Amino acid sequence: MNSIEEKLWNYIDGTCLPDEQKAIAVLIEQDEVYQKKYNELLQLNTEFAAMELDEPSMAFTYNIMETIRTENARQPLKAAIDKRIITGIAAFFVVSLAVLLIYVLSAVNWSAGSGFKMPQELNVTQIKVTHISNYFTGPVVKGFLFFDVVMGLFLMDNYLRRKNVAKQR
Amino acid sequence: MQSKLSDIELIEQTLGGNQSAYADLVKRHQRFVFTLALRFAKGREDAEEIAQDCFIKAYRSLSSFQQQSKFSTWLYSIVYTTAMTFLRKKRVDTASIDDDESYIQIESKPSGYDEYNVENKSRSYYLNQAIEQLLPDDATIITMFYKGEQSLEEIAQAMGIEANTVKVKLFRARQRLKERLERNLKHEVNELI
Repeated sequence: MNSIEEKLWNYIDGTCLPDEQKAIAVLIEQDEVYQKKYNELLQLNTEFAAMELDEPSMAFTYNIMETIRTENARQPLKAAIDKRIITGIAAFFVVSLAVLLIYVLSAVNWSAGSGFKMPQELNVTQIKVTHISNYFTGPVVKGFLFFDVVMGLFLMDNYLRRKNVAKQR
Repeated sequence: MQSKLSDIELIEQTLGGNQSAYADLVKRHQRFVFTLALRFAKGREDAEEIAQDCFIKAYRSLSSFQQQSKFSTWLYSIVYTTAMTFLRKKRVDTASIDDDESYIQIESKPSGYDEYNVENKSRSYYLNQAIEQLLPDDATIITMFYKGEQSLEEIAQAMGIEANTVKVKLFRARQRLKERLERNLKHEVNELI
């Protein structure tokens, strides 16, 4: 069975059932022992509620935010890059390579080989071979190559960084 | 000046990349978290370390906060776990106040306190002194209940125990606090006489 004090604390906290609450209220009104104890506990309750909270140092928030900022700065670039950007770059390469392939394939004269007849006098010196540099003169192709080089360097940097991190561990 | 936004709004802003929103959240809860940490650590430096650690942990797991409870309840559960880990590491003496031979020593106060007499010391000073002498669990329950605006269920959630256990512990903690408070006041009066 609950002690008077326990009942009264439950009454003060409002954690007892409505019927119990009414019964205790009546007891406080009529019973002097209950009334005295109730007033004592009520005063204690007010004192406990008035307890003061401690204050941390002035730099408390600053220290936390600095730690968070430092942690965020240390995060590898990979984590900061949106996956959609990577997908976009991949899509660009796929399309570019497809366009280049179609362009090269369309430039080939497929019918040139059909009905091939060996010339009676094969004159090798007369065969005109297009120099490879002719294919790399257009600004679009140059730009494409430049982009390739940059991306290559980026991937190499990424690879070396990972290797470095693995070594440090 | 602190933001008037709710905890949830500040969390959403923080998750959206606004770090100053988290600074507002820290400012809002720092006093309570620090006080809770003090209930375990007893020294201000250690308490500040625990409290800072809690806020950093909370920031890291902010995206996993499900909003099924109040942010404060979630934060206090982090404080409780972190403080318990701290206690285990430091092996701080947590003898029961029932054992008069081995109750926790109160940290020495800054100079000037000795000159105070019982008339100058406020009731809140004696209350804080008595709370410091309680077991960490008792002091935490009392602090959460009276200053953390937490219900018995929320305290139970933060401490990972049953609500009924919290109710019993709260009752006992109040009794011990009352006894300790009376004893300290009586001791001061006797010293004056």
